[in-house]
Parts: sequence; C-alpha cells; structure tokens
Amino acid sequence: MRYLLRKIGLLLLTLWAAVTLNFFLPRMMPGSPTDAAIAKLAQNGPVSPATRAAIEAQLGVPTGNIWDQYVAYLGNVLTLDFGISYTFFPQSVSELVLTALPWTLVMVGVVTIVAFVLGTLLGVLAAWKRGTFLDSLPTLTGTFTSAFPYFWTALLLLFFLGYVLQWFPTSGAYSPRATPNLSPEFIADAAYHAVLPAVTILITSLGGWILGMRNTMINTLGDDYVTFAEANGLKPRAVALKYAARNAILPNLTGFGLALGGVVGGSLLVERVFAYPGVGYLLYNAVTNQDFPLMQALFLMITVSVLVANFIVDVLYGYLDPRTRR
Amino acid sequence: MTLLDVDDVSIVYEPRGAEPVTAVRGATFSLEQGEFVGLVGESGSGKSTLGFALTGLAKAPARISSGRIAFDGTDIAHLDGEDLRRQRRGGFAMVLQSGMNALNPVRTIANHFADIFAAHEHVPRGRRRERAVELVEKVELPASVLDRYPGELSGGMRQRVAIALAMSLDPRLLVFDEPTTALDVLVQRAVMDTIIELQREENFTAILVSHDLGVVLESTARVLVMHDGVIVEDGPSARILTDPQDDYTRMLLSHYADPRAEVVELPGLRVAGSQISTTGEPPAEPATDAAPSGRAGTRTGRTRAAVVLDGVSKVYPPPRRGEDPVTAVDDVSFTIEPGDALALVGASGSGKSTIAKLITGVERPTAGTVRLGDTDVGSLRRAGLRRLRRDVQMVFQDPYSALNPLHSVEYTLMRPVVNFGGLRGREARRRMLELLEIVGLTPVEQFAAKLPHQLSGGQRQRVVIARALACDPQVIIADEPVSMLDVSLRAGVLALIEDLREQWGVSLLFITHDLLSARVVTDKILVLNRGRVVERGETAQVLRFPEDDYTVELLDAVPQPGRAAD
Repeated sequence: MRYLLRKIGLLLLTLWAAVTLNFFLPRMMPGSPTDAAIAKLAQNGPVSPATRAAIEAQLGVPTGNIWDQYVAYLGNVLTLDFGISYTFFPQSVSELVLTALPWTLVMVGVVTIVAFVLGTLLGVLAAWKRGTFLDSLPTLTGTFTSAFPYFWTALLLLFFLGYVLQWFPTSGAYSPRATPNLSPEFIADAAYHAVLPAVTILITSLGGWILGMRNTMINTLGDDYVTFAEANGLKPRAVALKYAARNAILPNLTGFGLALGGVVGGSLLVERVFAYPGVGYLLYNAVTNQDFPLMQALFLMITVSVLVANFIVDVLYGYLDPRTRR
Repeated sequence: MTLLDVDDVSIVYEPRGAEPVTAVRGATFSLEQGEFVGLVGESGSGKSTLGFALTGLAKAPARISSGRIAFDGTDIAHLDGEDLRRQRRGGFAMVLQSGMNALNPVRTIANHFADIFAAHEHVPRGRRRERAVELVEKVELPASVLDRYPGELSGGMRQRVAIALAMSLDPRLLVFDEPTTALDVLVQRAVMDTIIELQREENFTAILVSHDLGVVLESTARVLVMHDGVIVEDGPSARILTDPQDDYTRMLLSHYADPRAEVVELPGLRVAGSQISTTGEPPAEPATDAAPSGRAGTRTGRTRAAVVLDGVSKVYPPPRRGEDPVTAVDDVSFTIEPGDALALVGASGSGKSTIAKLITGVERPTAGTVRLGDTDVGSLRRAGLRRLRRDVQMVFQDPYSALNPLHSVEYTLMRPVVNFGGLRGREARRRMLELLEIVGLTPVEQFAAKLPHQLSGGQRQRVVIARALACDPQVIIADEPVSMLDVSLRAGVLALIEDLREQWGVSLLFITHDLLSARVVTDKILVLNRGRVVERGETAQVLRFPEDDYTVELLDAVPQPGRAAD
C-alpha cells in the first residue's frame, strides 16, 4: 500500500513537471505564432499594424504577468480547454483530439497488447522447446519481420492486399457512407478497415517480443531455482510457467510499458499511410500546418500517456516482483 | 538393504561442435539404507556430475553413456519424463550448491511447498500448511518464514528452506551438492550440524558432495574420493584419515592442518609457533634487508610507508528508510609496518572488506584517519588517488571474475606496467615477462599469450597477483585470495604470497575467514566482530591461545578431519 502511495505521488509530481515544461518551453522559444503569420503575409506586400492587431486578437495574445498566465493555463489543462485549432477552425482542439483518440486507442492499443501477449507466449514456447522446430520457426520469422520498417510493410500490404487483390479498403477507418455509432454493422465495418494497419503493426512488433522473451527465458531456464524445481518433481508445465517464464517476463514488462506509452503518439507513419483518422494522423496534420494549439495539446497528451503507462507498469511490477516492493 | 547400486557408470559431456569429454569413468559403488556417505573431489573431478546423475538430473550435453544406476531395484539411468518425475517422491532428492539461488524469487516459501504438494499430491489439501510448518521447524526455522519471499531471508535460512523442500518429498536418498559452500563460516557450521542431525533422526540415505575433505570426514561415516572422473578411494572415514590408500587422498589430507597446532605444516609452507619472537621485537624488521639488492633499482627514491588506521569508523546510511544506519567499522586502529603481514579475520559482515575499501580510498572514513606514510588517504582527490593506486594494490577473492575474459594475460599485465611503471615498448614487455616469472607462470612467453579461460583457477590467481605487483606497490591487500581455489592449489598461492613479501618487502593485509591460511602467511592478527576489534596480537599466539569467545567460535568452525573420531 505504501508502495502504491509512493508511486502515485511520483506520478503526480512528474505529471506536474511535464505540464509545466509544456507551458514554459514554447515561451522560451524566440518568435511567436503572430510573427510567423505576419512573416507569411509579408511575402505579398507590407503588413499594416491593423492587420497585426487583428491577427493578435484572433490568436489571443496572452495578457497579464507570467504567473497569472501559468495559473490560467493550469486551469485550462484541468478543464481540457486547449483552445481552437488553426487548421480545422472553428473546431476546438479538445474536440479534435477526442474524435481521433478512440480510433488510435482501440486499433493501436489492441494490437500492441495482442502483439505482447502473443509474442511472449511464442517466446515461452520457443525457449521451452529450445532447438526444435517450435523454436527455430518463430525465432527466425521474428528476426526477419522485425527488421521491416513500418511504412514499408504498410505500403506493401496496401499495394497487394488493398490495391491488387482489393481484399481490404485502402484508406479511412470506416466506409464513407457510414456514420460512427455503436451498431454491430458499424463495428464490423470499422474492424474491416482496421485490419491492414493492425496487421502492419503486428508484423513489425511481434518479432521483438518473441526474441526478447525467448532469450530471457533461456537464461532463467539455466537458473538454480528451475533445476531445483525439476529436482523436486514439479510438473513440466509448472516449471515452465511458474518458475522460468514468470521470472523471465519481468524485464519484458518494462518494454511493454514503453510500447503502451507510445500507443498514443507512435503510430504516425502507419496512420498516415492508411489515412487512418487517429492521433498520429492528427499530429501529422498539425505539424504540417503549423497548428500550434493542436501540437501543444498532442505533445502534452503523448507525454502524459507515457507517464501513465509507466506508472501502470511500475505498479504491476511491484505486484509481480516482491523484490521491488521495498 | 541396498538402496542404491551404481554399476560401472560413465558420463560424457557432448557439447555441440566440440570434442566429447568423459566426466565420470566407470563409477561403481553401492549404498545401504541409512548410510551417510561423502563424495569428495576437487573442481573438475566429476563429483557433481555424478551427483546430478544419481538424482536423474543429468541433462544435455551430459549423457550417461554406460552403466546402471539401480535405485531400489529400478534402473533410473535411462528413465525419462513422467516415470522419472514420479520417482522423485519417496525416492531421491537433491539440495543444490547455491541454495541461495535455488528458490524462485517471486514465490513465497509457502508457495514453494504448495507447488511440491500439488505436483505429487502426497499430502492431503487440508494438511498442507501444517506439513509445511512441520518441515521448516525440522530445519530449525520459525513457521513465519513461510509467508516470506526468498529475498527476505539470509543465505543460511534459504539453504535451510531448500533442505526442508527436499525433505518434503519424503526422500529415501538425499544428495547434498556442496550445501554450505556459498555460506559464511559460522553459518556453514550450523547448517552442516542441522544436516547431520536430520540424517540421524530421519535415517534417510545421504550423499554429501563436497570439495572439502575436512568437512566430509567430520560428518560422514564413509568417504568416496574422486579424481579425474574416477573413484580412487572408497572406505570408512576413520580409515581414510589414518591410512589413506591412494596418493591423491594422501595429497588432499596433507593440505589440512590445525591452525591451533604449535607447528603448522602445509606442502611448501612451514610455520612453527617458536618462530614468533617472544622479545616483542616486530618481525617486520628484516624485511628491509630481505629485498634483494638487485631489485633495489625499482624502488629508488621511494620511501617505505606504514599503513596507519587511527580510530577509524565507517557508518553507512540506513539501507531502507526508517532503519538504523549501519556501522560497518567501529573505532578500529592498527598499523602495518613496512614489510609486515597482518591478518584481518572475521565472519562475513564483520567489516573486513570495508577496511580494505578504506585503505584503497574507495570509501572514506566517517571518523578517524587512514594514512599511508604521510598521506591522509581519506582526503585524497583524483590525482592523489591515482598515486595511491600505485602504492596500494588488491588481490581479489574470485580470480574467475577479476580478469577481463577478453584480454590476454599480456594485455592485462601491460596495463599497469605502462600506466604506473612508465615503461614503454620492449622494456615494458620485458617487465611483463619478468612478472610472470616471479609468480611462477613459466614458460612465460606461452602464458603471456593465453586468455583467462585457458588458465586454471590457481594460474588465474597468480596472474592477479602479478598484476598487483606490476606497479611495484608498497602494500598488497589480499581479500580471501585462496577461498575460491581448490585445496591443493591453496598452499602454492599462499607460498607465493609469503615469498613475495619476504623478497620484495611488500606489506600485506591478508583478509580472510580461513584461520589456517592466516596462520601460515601472517605474523599479526586482528579478529573483527561486527566492525569491532575483539582480539589482536601475534598470529600464533592468538590462534593457539584465543581469549575471545568469537575467536574460539571461528576456530571451531575450521573443518578438522581428525575431529570425526569423537
């Protein structure tokens, strides 16, 4: 319990630090969004002070001292008010993010978890049956596929399965005619659209989990407690799972935490290739259009999700490994 | 009744892509129900391989190539899978060498018992907790350990748990593979006593696999001696002690001596109590003359300095919040005059190694001063520490991890010669070869080219010693330099250390728990208990006529082959 409280305290502290950095860093950078807009306009001729005032009024130049700004900012963050997007005017940033988030969370999140679970199980099997076909097949395939770059796999799948064979749709998260709702038909449609991006992520990330688990488990198989468990006549399945795999999974959990944290921001390329309306695609749009409010909100969200994912893994770790609890 | 009948068993190691090696050759013996037998041999003798085979744990690349291991009439040498697993209850069990690591770090002790009970279903569900309590109490542990994780127990407690787990199978044959080797001296003794008592009460047949003939002769009634995969001797302990038949056994026995005796003799080493001066004159005096004049060149311009510790304490911050700070060293003062040899003895946790760290400048004292000549070691910064490293060198306990496995002996020795000796090119190489010659690794050119894994433990330790000598130090700190070595190699390394001190006038701080080696290489001794000095004086005097209870306890923990008689 004290372990949990300490971890929660640590999480709150790092969250505050991240939010604060997100406030100060842009203010420490030279230039401002207004300057950027005026510089663009200046290419077509002189800009009058009135235009400048109009742009400032539109963007909302901060007033008051920095402390008041900071307090106002904290209040805005807590109420999820990140302003209005430049690109998708007049939609608010939080509205945009909240529409994009479920797509990414469900598609990338589910795939990441599936890849971890499947890869770990295959890794356990490979290590336990070391030197057999069950070891060499997943290990070799895994080594091969994990060397593929995301976007390359994505383009390959898109071309063959989407364009040539036309088995799967080539873009979007659902059919153009459908409207998002929770009816079975729509969910089936969305799942159908998610297949290609999901398979892309699965193919490129599965190998890492298989190899990582296999190699750590081969180490734990050589540990004395495994030999002793065998000497005591435990059933092979118990030795493999409760003794060898149970200890081998610990270092892999850290990797899983990082992967989970990366779910929110890390699928940019895949989402771009498949024009999948998730957070990655939104971030891509924000960056190419210099949409500062949107970028700031997305960066903050990515940071926060990494922190939260790490917190979850930390807590899980404490539960799974008694040695870290102290 | 014959419980175990081993008939002409050979075991080969068949590593992939390498020549097969025969580890055990034609082992033949049988054990009666209730016998307690020792299986002794040095590293590489095949004793553990045989022990694993007897409990059905021989795994690839090891393979039982021929022979029969009949356990209660069934041949288990070629039993497999489920049949073998069933034999493990009420059959044969094993306690591993490193009992500390034999427990799953993420399962509570109670769960370890539960796993075994679930695997064999020989204890009814409702009685399992009760039975686990019974078992841990048998090994003299409180029932509360059941709810703990292995990481929360000490090494000795973990080994006791491992024994209790093996006992939970109701074994008829129990093989102990070096059950106390990784433990602290005093704990070793206590765990060994528990094993002996258990065997007597439960009357199972037991095999004690050990490298230490002393321990085995003390605890078992019959001893098998293994050498190079062959059982060279098999007889009652008493007879082996008085009338060993094999040369190898005789050689092993010659390496045991009582540190309390008036004259202590080891092959190549002889120390008599009468050698110790009674006039109070420090025996360090002749060391200055002992340095051969031919070597004086390497020492020119450098004065010999004494190591002086004055009222030194070292307090570490509490390991966890809310606990007390740890006082590792508590108000210790001593002086090592140039060329003198001082033994620092005590069980683990007594502060011996912390003192070494203080003298090498790795740690700074919390109170008091550590001086080498005029230098205050505790206040040295970067450059000063670098100079100190030239004067104070360490010989580490574990020669297997003290050498970088990727570097040749030549490279390892050249580093200090170049960095501290200031020699370059051919001169440096000559010095390197000279060092090998000094530590007796000849032909030197051949040894210079070798990698650590091509050397035996004793040879590795000689390289470590040569490395320590490379920068011509004034003080050598040897931290348990022989405890990882086979008994037959120890005397050689000890003799080398003794020689070096006499020839080169190096001062020696000899840290050990092994009183016998302290007796043969040092003149003075300091007994530490929980960071405090409990006894000090001439080594022979202190060991022969100890005054403090703790010293007596340490002395009693030294295995004495002869003690089996009583």
